[in-house]
Amino acid sequence: MNVLSVQDLSVQFHDRHAKGETVSGLSLEIAPGEIVGIVGESGSGKSTAMQAVLGLLPERAEVMSGKMLLNGDSIAPPPYRDGRPQKQEQKAYEKKMQQIRGSQIAMVFQDPLSYLNPTVKIGRQITEAVRVHNKNCSRAQAKVRAAELLDMAGLRRPKESLDKYPFEMSGGMRQRAAIAIALACEPKLLIADEPTTALDVTVQGQILKLLARIAEETATAILLVSHDLGVIASVCQRVLVMQNGKMVEEGTVEEIFYDPRQEYTRLLIERASGLCALTEKKISGEALLTLKNVTKSYHSGRRNLDQKKFEAVRDVSFELYKGETYGLVGESGCGKTTVAKMITGVHAPSGGAVLYHGEELVGMQRQIQMVFQDPYASLNPRMTIRETLEEPLLLNTSDSPEIRKEKVTEIMKMAGLPPEDAGKYPRAFSGGQRQRIGIARALMLRPELIVCDEPVSALDVSIQEQILELLEQIQRETKVSYLFISHDLNVVKRISQRLGVMYAGSIVESGATESVYEDPWHPYTKALLSAILTPDPRTARRRRKMAAGGEQEKEVQYDTGCPFASRCGYAMECCHADRPKTYCFGDRKVACFLYSEEYTGRRSNDYKMTSQI
Amino acid sequence: MLKYTGKRILIGILSLFVLVTAAFFLTRLMPGSPFQSGNVSEDVLKSMEEEYGLDRPMTEQYRLYLGNLLKGDLGVSFKKPGVTVVEVIRRAWPMTAALGGLAILTAAVFGTLLGIWQASSGKKAVRGGIFLGTILGTGIPNFVIALLLMFFFGVKLKLLPIAGLAGPQNYILPVISLAVYPTAVIARLMQNTFREEMQKDYVVLAKAKGLKPGRTALTHILKNAWIPVLNYIGPAAAFLLTGSFVVESIFTIPGLGREFVNSIGNRDYTLIMGLTVFMGIVVIGINLLTDLMCAWLDPRVRRACR
Repeated sequence: MNVLSVQDLSVQFHDRHAKGETVSGLSLEIAPGEIVGIVGESGSGKSTAMQAVLGLLPERAEVMSGKMLLNGDSIAPPPYRDGRPQKQEQKAYEKKMQQIRGSQIAMVFQDPLSYLNPTVKIGRQITEAVRVHNKNCSRAQAKVRAAELLDMAGLRRPKESLDKYPFEMSGGMRQRAAIAIALACEPKLLIADEPTTALDVTVQGQILKLLARIAEETATAILLVSHDLGVIASVCQRVLVMQNGKMVEEGTVEEIFYDPRQEYTRLLIERASGLCALTEKKISGEALLTLKNVTKSYHSGRRNLDQKKFEAVRDVSFELYKGETYGLVGESGCGKTTVAKMITGVHAPSGGAVLYHGEELVGMQRQIQMVFQDPYASLNPRMTIRETLEEPLLLNTSDSPEIRKEKVTEIMKMAGLPPEDAGKYPRAFSGGQRQRIGIARALMLRPELIVCDEPVSALDVSIQEQILELLEQIQRETKVSYLFISHDLNVVKRISQRLGVMYAGSIVESGATESVYEDPWHPYTKALLSAILTPDPRTARRRRKMAAGGEQEKEVQYDTGCPFASRCGYAMECCHADRPKTYCFGDRKVACFLYSEEYTGRRSNDYKMTSQI
Repeated sequence: MLKYTGKRILIGILSLFVLVTAAFFLTRLMPGSPFQSGNVSEDVLKSMEEEYGLDRPMTEQYRLYLGNLLKGDLGVSFKKPGVTVVEVIRRAWPMTAALGGLAILTAAVFGTLLGIWQASSGKKAVRGGIFLGTILGTGIPNFVIALLLMFFFGVKLKLLPIAGLAGPQNYILPVISLAVYPTAVIARLMQNTFREEMQKDYVVLAKAKGLKPGRTALTHILKNAWIPVLNYIGPAAAFLLTGSFVVESIFTIPGLGREFVNSIGNRDYTLIMGLTVFMGIVVIGINLLTDLMCAWLDPRVRRACR
């Protein structure tokens, strides 16, 4: 029998702003132990539909359903009469749902940081879930169970983790804790709403593996909601494709990915695969920006006595040529953004030098501009687009109002925005349009270099592609250079000609994008690349078996040895004792002892190095 | 945490020193002398100033005062011969503290409850009613409230006594008139933060766990919502515990507020100084307590002060 079967689910918001159905006519079924993926762009109503099943939507959302059965019992919400549900029925429904939520159906949300209460210990948040549905479970028993759950969710040292607060944990650990909460009462159905979107690639792979294991071992049915086709392809058995609140297509993963019947599905898959394609472009040999052994350290203790130096960026060197795109990849916290801040002049490096046109960079330069990650937070909501775009001109030039107006129109056209929208406020624009505004702002002063700090990671896949295309088009027209920072390897591969892979503040490998992707040398690059999820079920499944397990140790050895040594499967004795130098082989640079002379032997100049692992 | 507390205490002592210095020289800058009145001759004035040491240079007076202060001696009142400042405080402070403490307790309890009620009630009448009440509470000055309370409960209904602090029922009216304003402010603050916290994602997760709304409010929302409220309660408590001249005058309570205002009128230097120092200690102490309580409630603050 099916764990959940929903027929004809519709959700309508009764709101002043938004009218119309967000979800209409959705039907789905899921059997024990099955993983069903729901895929669609943001705003397609996937999350709304899932919250409607659990009755988590606010009151102004009207949920209508033909049938909603959980193990054969109806859990359909009461129908609306005269614009609101009847009080008695609503109360009865709430009471029933309180028994079901957490014990029969549990949910894992996207951002574990905001979904965990910041002032309550993790242990307490788990024991609470255990004890709600199990009245005669004592505090001590609940604590033991909570430790078990954390252990099951793959957290190291579960007992100590119980006393931690959410902000003391890494993103992956938090998501594991959230999964532990969801599993507290052994639910029949687990709804995972974008469970890995906020996480790094390597952690993403581990979490997905965990979910697959849970489905297999405990026969829990899992509904996996994601916008990422790679995620869906790697774990799901069946897939539902949603667009604008409607189900477009349903089928097994193989059917959907290899033989999509609907135009929309085909388009989605094409775009996702398109991101993995490589670009080829020629670049001039003139170095625009050079980083020479740049280091940035922060002191944790204020006084000299207990001073602990933390090096956010350590000995980073690279060159950026005119008209090229240099990609910088790495997990969150690896120092990418700190590098960006030193290049834009927000921070001064504590060691080494940033050279621009061969001269040392002092303060901020109008020739170097920045595009930020969050298109919502980086625009002032009380300034019109014109004001936002004119501001750099007002500060740096003495243009007359007419010239300013002309420039704004020109740049807006270049960024693909209709110039007549200049009088509007940011709230009138969608995420993708806002990012275009952010790019337009960066272009206002005709810079030579634009630092893009995760410019597309907050956007949907199809919008990502548009923004990347826009960046490329602008580069063709204006010969601007980009430093492109991202944690998303697919995006970096798509746009950059050369790239550097960062780990714990250092660049561990760098070279031409194509050769690094085809033949990664450094063990970390290898791990990163094998963690990429491709929107192709067969290869994704093969990959999943190889993905590295276990939670990453946060305590990286900063002082001695290679920072990656504790996670590296190839670590030798020297890796813990000394820090590897950067070894150069033509265009390719790699910081790993596997490529040192002691390991590979003396080489002649025309020796062709290949991957050692 | 211990280090943080120690640091805060040290800063408190330092600010107290600055306060003493500023207050000392400012009182001396006031025109007139404590012993000046219509029928005191030049000679008598001079001899009296000599006796109290007012003829000596200001820096020496200051040094002497600081020395005595360290010994806990706040000096003798200039206007009430033979009465020490410490005695005045010992007599007036318990009444003020009892009134202020009860008022802030009432305000904290009722303000929190009203705020939560307003934020979570489904009834429009309840929300509107509490909203109107809080507007009036913040808008009407406490002496108007005090007089109205006196008029209705004391004069018309003859239910409660209106002057002095003889029995427990004497406390009711002054405490209410003191508590109305902070109650209204706390209710509005609480309503706001509670609302905000109810929108947070962790409430959705609590609901998804199967928690009842009441339990969620108690274990999850209240703690987070109380942190901003606590930051108001601290200064409000400091204000109330140092005495309210208006309310004390209306209900003829010989509290600290009245003593303070009278001492300024009398140019009773030592009393002004003594009360200033004492009130400074209370204010600084309460602010320290507030910060420590914030750290206790919010682990992120605790982490930051390590």
